[in-house]
Amino acid sequence: MRDAIELEWAGIPSVAIIHTAVEGSARAMAKLSGVPDYDFILVDYPYIPTAIWSEAEIRDLAKEVAPRVLRALTA
Amino acid sequence: MLNAERHAYDHHDALQEDYADRGWTDGLPVVAPTPAKVEAFLDAAGLKAGEVLGEVPTREVVVTAEHAAINAVMAGCKQEYMPVVAAAVRAHLHEKANCHSTTGTLCGAAQVVVVNGPVRKEIEIACEGACFGPGFRANATIGRALRLVIRNVCRAIPDFLDRASFSSPLRYSFCFGENEEGSPWLPMHVERGFAPDQSTVTVHSIMHFVSAIDFTARTPEAVLDTILATLRRYGVFSDRFLGDGQNVMLVVGPEHMRFFAEEGWSKDDMRGYLWPKIQKTGAGERPIMLGQPEGMLITAAGGPGMAETWLLIPHLAWAITEPIS
Repeated sequence: MRDAIELEWAGIPSVAIIHTAVEGSARAMAKLSGVPDYDFILVDYPYIPTAIWSEAEIRDLAKEVAPRVLRALTA
Repeated sequence: MLNAERHAYDHHDALQEDYADRGWTDGLPVVAPTPAKVEAFLDAAGLKAGEVLGEVPTREVVVTAEHAAINAVMAGCKQEYMPVVAAAVRAHLHEKANCHSTTGTLCGAAQVVVVNGPVRKEIEIACEGACFGPGFRANATIGRALRLVIRNVCRAIPDFLDRASFSSPLRYSFCFGENEEGSPWLPMHVERGFAPDQSTVTVHSIMHFVSAIDFTARTPEAVLDTILATLRRYGVFSDRFLGDGQNVMLVVGPEHMRFFAEEGWSKDDMRGYLWPKIQKTGAGERPIMLGQPEGMLITAAGGPGMAETWLLIPHLAWAITEPIS
């Protein structure tokens, strides 16, 4: 989250992809960084956030997340 | 001149309840950080209230000596422990100690404070039997003081910046001393470039706290093979930020140390045996990502009885050694 915020400060459009497991700390980080309303993309299960995903799982996730990243960057 | 905001209470119980309600404790009662006590702690360490001990830039946090002194009082420290607490806070806030990651991570990494040098005897830091556990005021309160700084100042609070899935009881407090007098080896702080009479703290993160136990090994090689096999089950991981500086800490108990002492093995001899083996990661094995043999920190501690060496396997951090002034 902080990486995305600092990239924004550097003038580089960014989007943070945050798993629900760490949603609370992402919101806390945005608040501490002075941008409490900084928007981010929240991703959820079915896949364990710290697992090594299979190729098929990666493709499924990418299909779901990529359009949301595009929308966030071009909004 | 102290800068913290003041709160007044009619009774000690009211302070305990209010501190708990505000989330200023680890769940246990605290000692009231009165201005007089905080100033006495600062004086004991020769520190000015506003002196900066370190920062967590990603959290917009600056930790001052006053912050450390307040939390040291709350943790139950004696004022003569304050120089050790201040050094531990400095070490933990070193960039490569990686406070932001090690205190926020899902894995719930803890911090260990290892004390070397004459200060161990002066303030009675336990180094021998039961030294990892409760019963020793200096160990218990110095470790707790660092954790309260991490919570109250660095904002590592569950459901806020601490996202541990389970966390660890080691996060209440973990501090011990190296048993320098009971070991034939160079103490850890001397190996790291300090004079023997310079007291130091070494602070490191712990992701896994594991005993390499072996009652049958009777040679240095056999003990080290057990240590390596145990380490392999977990692995040691690094990243580009940490480079070659990652550390793992081996705490060798007397029942294992005897085999090294009998054969005249130094800490460097132990590293010399392990290092080539560490370089070869077999199929299906976890890597031990140390950039150099000195990444293995070896200390002596504990009491007789159990034939074990404890492995303090890090989250992503260097072990940082700071002098106690």
